[in-house]
Parts: sequence; structure tokens; C-alpha cells
Amino acid sequence: MKRTIPTAAGAAAAVVLALTACSGGTADEAGGGGGDDTAAPAEDEAVTLSLAGWSLSTTPEFQTLADAFHEENPNVTVELQEYDASEYDTQMTADLAAGSAPDMYVLKNLKNFWTYYDGAQLLDVSDVTAELDPATGGADFYEVDGASWAVPYRQDSWFLYYNQDLFDEAGVDAPDGSWTWDDYVTAAQDVTEGLGDSDALGAYQHSWQSVVQGFALAQSEGAELTSGDFGYLEPFYDRAVELQDSDAQVDFGTVTTNQLTYQAQFGTQQAAMMPMGSWYVATLLAQQESGDADEFNWGMAPIPQVDSSTTGMDATPVTFGDPTGLGINPAIDEAKVDAAKEFLAFAAGEGGADALAAIGITPALLSDGVVDTYFGLDGVPGDELSQFAFATHDTRPENPVDPDTAALQNILGDTHSEIMSESSSVADAIAGAEDRAASEVG
Amino acid sequence: MATIAVDDRSSGASGPSPAAPPGPRRRRPGSRLKLRNTLIGWSFILPNFLGFGLLTLIPVVTLFYLSLTEWNVFGGAEFIGLDNYTRMIGDTSYHTALFNTIYYSAVHIPATLVASLGLALLLNRKLRGVAFFRTVAFFPYITSIVAIAVVWNMLFSPEYGPINQFLTFLGVDDPPGWTTSADSSMPAVIIVGVWREMGYYMLLLLAGLQTVPGELYEAARVDGAGAWGRFWNVTLPCLRPTMFFVTVILTINSLKVFDLILVMTDGGPGQSTLVLSQFIYSKGFEENQFGYASAVAVTLFFICIAVTIFQFFWNRRKDA
Repeated sequence: MKRTIPTAAGAAAAVVLALTACSGGTADEAGGGGGDDTAAPAEDEAVTLSLAGWSLSTTPEFQTLADAFHEENPNVTVELQEYDASEYDTQMTADLAAGSAPDMYVLKNLKNFWTYYDGAQLLDVSDVTAELDPATGGADFYEVDGASWAVPYRQDSWFLYYNQDLFDEAGVDAPDGSWTWDDYVTAAQDVTEGLGDSDALGAYQHSWQSVVQGFALAQSEGAELTSGDFGYLEPFYDRAVELQDSDAQVDFGTVTTNQLTYQAQFGTQQAAMMPMGSWYVATLLAQQESGDADEFNWGMAPIPQVDSSTTGMDATPVTFGDPTGLGINPAIDEAKVDAAKEFLAFAAGEGGADALAAIGITPALLSDGVVDTYFGLDGVPGDELSQFAFATHDTRPENPVDPDTAALQNILGDTHSEIMSESSSVADAIAGAEDRAASEVG
Repeated sequence: MATIAVDDRSSGASGPSPAAPPGPRRRRPGSRLKLRNTLIGWSFILPNFLGFGLLTLIPVVTLFYLSLTEWNVFGGAEFIGLDNYTRMIGDTSYHTALFNTIYYSAVHIPATLVASLGLALLLNRKLRGVAFFRTVAFFPYITSIVAIAVVWNMLFSPEYGPINQFLTFLGVDDPPGWTTSADSSMPAVIIVGVWREMGYYMLLLLAGLQTVPGELYEAARVDGAGAWGRFWNVTLPCLRPTMFFVTVILTINSLKVFDLILVMTDGGPGQSTLVLSQFIYSKGFEENQFGYASAVAVTLFFICIAVTIFQFFWNRRKDA
């Protein structure tokens, strides 16, 4: 017995080392610049590419892009490989490590971009990015060390949704594009008061940290996530706490314990205003169609600003939003690389943008033609303010690309719940986050 | 018979004599039988051992190795010695998670023991519909953890939840915020943990209670022992083997609590309910620091081992 234990342990260690050595070898071979020596297939040779997507039955954008590309390039077929929406990055990481990931995959957000880049799981696509329209939003977010590792095909930005009917009922002027955040808080309180005994409140801010922190990072002068100095968050949290303390917004505890959804809060007229991303337009229209949301007059306005220097229809409002990108798996068959790059160029270009706009998705390329397509959809409010809010903004990243972004965002996630649950004062919670960032990150 | 035995012994002990003609080597009949029995034994445990080896042994050995490396899943793991362990010393989040794990265990273990023993004693009587009540008590344990979290979160809702409405009705001016307040989130999670698990441990204790000989109670009654005396001097000593088993399992389960907290509070508000298992999950699967996450998992493993060994020694001392 005594002799068998070391023998078994030795055998297990040998297996472990062998496995580790195997995985190391595979990844070492997959480099970021592996796409240069490509043997392109003949033009009429049929190529089948695989593309990762999630929740395919409810997220039509992947199939839309695949079909539109196939129509232009009949010899290339793009097949979809479905992943779970909530566990997408975990599953994709596992598949890439195991060598079973599709040829092309979606970068769902910027937070995890560094993981893929740092792990050499993205092919250099600088040549594709160089050919993109300069107006393509978010293309530079994927640049590291002078090279580009993915291309954006959609760029959601946040703006302010408002319910015109509730504003009219409360007798308060609806947003006109000139608001600062202080105006927004005042309007929310006025609408709540004006609506009297109604269940509806002036505003609804969902429980996500980005609802406060995304705007603070984008709009505060000199704010930098990776600096570890989070003082820029303070005025934004002061306003958020004031909003819930004055009952102009459902408090954080009620939102989390009752699992309130933003779709129901705005769609069933429980709130007169809601800061939310551009993806909600398509959701609201679909829910109005299905009866899950009420029919009412609504519109989009630019998100409120820190001060008046970026308000008004003659200025460019600052907002935030991460692009959704497409990258190429370095393990792709070399003969398919050119076709994959063509697909990326199509998805991020005018063809992909038109196809996406036609199904209510905000593409990364917002040309006049794309905006016309989008506002030509049934139910999309066509007023000037909504068109301005949709098409004119300076969108900054929620998750700047950096090795420490994921860890810092996790710390700030804790800070968000600590402040919004009013477990600590705003200043104490921010000081705690700065201490943690200093000791745990970098 | 005797001749055969002598022949066997001589050939087995000394082998063929130099004078004997060369021939095939003879094997002891006993050793062949032993080999056959060993192979049969191995073949019985092989399917299970293969699963154990592949799914438990190799991952655990790998975990120990990974705890000495820096690894982000992609590529090879870089050996960094004990750096991950020294990092824990200065990591305030690790300290918070460790403290919260001990806090959860220190309250959850005795509370669950008392609640499940109380239930077991209550349902060990000859009552009408006792089988129904036993099933009801066991029900939370087999209910989906997500469903439990959603329902309890609604019950704990600070403004609209029935618990705080009841407390307000009783005249409590400032009822706790439960899962939405850093002060009361851990007690709220512990309450749900006790409620969920007490039915399972009740079942184990109930099985133990039914092994207590009835004569001991009769003898105690004859000696004039009251209900408390019978419980203290008969029930508890007879239940000690079951209690030991329950305590060991309960302790390990409390130290590695994860799912309930993940779905109820996600470790918040702030870090008020962050426990070691969730810390491991966050470092590993959210930040891709699998080396550091493995090192924290190793510390949790040794905490569980240390507490279990202590319980074994304590139990052995009581036995002596």
C-alpha cells in the first residue's frame, strides 16, 4: 500500500504535466499574426465559415449578416454555432482553449476583449480595419500595439427614452436635448409630483453599474478607469441616490429583490424617462407588437450632460457604449482566412449596416442611408430630436481596453451595490474602491 | 494429503533442488488464486475508479499544480512558486471572503443543527400525518435553488416584502433591509440556508433517533428522569455517531457555500456576503486568473481538512 501511493501520485503528475504540455503547445502555435501566409481558395470554390452567436431564435442579427453576405458572395456560406447568451464568454474561452471554437466569433463586450487578445486568440485584422469607412464607430477600440484585432459591426449607444404621454399628463416639458443631469433629476421629481397618485414615477434607472458609472467615465473631464482614482463617480452617485431618496425612482433594493425589468418599467408606463442603450428600440417595438408593452407616444433624446457645453442640437452629446465586434480565430484553416476577412469587412461596412438597420439593430457604421433605413421602420419615432439622438453622439467606451479592466470593473460593481443600497456613504464607498484597486490590481 | 502438503512446501520455499532435472517453473497455487482475486476486485472497482481518477483525482492534482502558476487558460501555465499564496496575505478581498465564510459557518452550523434536531424530535413522535409533515420539512431541500432565491428575495423586499410588512405591523419602526443592506444581508442568507437544509439533516437525525433503544427511555423513566433528563442523558449520547456525521457534512457544506449566495445576493451589497467559493469563481471565471483562484481553492481545501480532522479527534476523545 505504501509503495502504491507514490506510484499513483507519480503517474497522476505525469498525466497532468503531459496535459499541461499539450495545452501549452497548442496555444503557442496560435499566434496573433498567423494570418499572413494565406492560401486563398479559388474565387468560385465553395467555402463554409463558422460563426459564433447566442440565443439564435431571439437574436436575428447573426443569421441576417450570414444571409446578406451569402447573397453577395454565393460561394461562401456562413454557418452559425450557438452559445448560451449569459455564459457566452466562459463557453467561448473554453472552446478556444480546447481548439473547438468556430472560425469567427463575436466579441460581446470590450471587458473581455483583453482576455482574447492577451491569450493570442485573435487574428490580426489590421488590413480589414484600414479599409473601413472612417465613420465606423468603435473601430479604434480594438487596436493594441498599432494593430487591430477585431472590427465592430454594431455600436450601441445610450440615450434617454421618454414617454411623451406621461410628460403631458404631469404638465412638465419633455426633454429637448438641452438637459444637464441636474435638469434630468429636477424633471424626474417634477413628473413624479405632477402624476400625483399614479403608480408611474419620473424615472427608471436599472440596477446595472453602467447606468451610473458609464456616463461618469464618459463625461467627466480627465476620468480614467485605470488610474485607480474614482473621485469622478461622486457627483453621479450623489444624483442617483438623491433620485431614489426623493421617490422619483424605484429604490435599488426594490429593483434587485423584485427583479424588476427595465422593459416592463418603461414599456408598461411605470416610468416617464429611462436612460438605456439603443438596442431597446427594437425590443420596445417588438413588445408593443406582441402586447407585452403598452401603446404610447415615446421618443429618444440625447442623454443629459454634465454641463451645457455639450447640450443642444448644435453640439455633440457625449455618451457611452461598447461596440460589438467580430474577430477571427487564429486556428482557422488558412484557406478560409481571406473569406473570413471579407465577411468581417462586409459586416462592418455599408452592406452589413443596411441589413442590421433593417431589423432595428444599431450598426457601427451610421451613414445617412443607414439612418434613413432605421427610421423607415414601422413604429420608430421619426421626430427630429429622436433622429438627432440616434445619429449624433460622441460614444466613449464603457470598458477601455486594458489588462486591468475586468478586475477594476468587478471592484466598481461591488461599489455600485454598496452605494445604491445605501450601505455606505458615497465618499466612503469610493474611497474603499480606490484602496482595493491599489492593493488588488496592477 | 500429507505428502502433497510436504511437496508443495518444499517446492514453494526452496524451489527446485540443484539435482532436480530442469523443467517449467511451478507457481504456487495460492499466488495464482490471490492474483485472480485481486484482478476480480480491481475489475469491480475499475469503472468507478476510472471516473474518480478522471473527474476528481486528476483535477485535484492539477489544482495543486495550478496554484503554483500564473495561467489565463490560453497557453501554458507559468510556474511562479508561492507567489499566489503570498498575494493572499495582502489581498483585502480574500480576507473579507475568508471572514464571511467563517461568519456564515459559525452561525449556520449550530443554527441548522438545532433546527434539524428540533424538527427530528418533533417528527419522531407518533402523530397523525407525520409522514406528510416529514415530506413537507424535506421539500425545501429538493426545490430549485434559483426558485428559493427569487421567492425569498421577494419576501425580504424592504418596502413591499411581507416580512417587513409584518415587522412594521408588530411595531418595528426601522425593519432591516435584509438582502439590500450590508448589515443584514448575511443574516438573511443564513436564514434561507438554514430553512433550506434543515429538512435534509432532519432526515439523517430521524434515522439516528429510531436506533435509540426504547428500553433506555423506560429505564430512565423508572429512575425518575424527566423529559429534559431523558433527552440529555439518553437521546443525545445515543445520537452522537449520527450527530458527528451530520456535523462533519454540515461543516464542509457551510465552508463551501456558493450557489445560494450567488443567486441571492451575488456577494453584495458591496462585499458583505462574498464567500471564498464565490471569490474563487470570480477570480477564475470572471478575471481568468486561474492560478490565483486555484491557490485560494487550495486554502479552502486545507481549511475543510483541518476542521474535519479536529472534529475526528474531538469525537475520538469523547469516545475514549
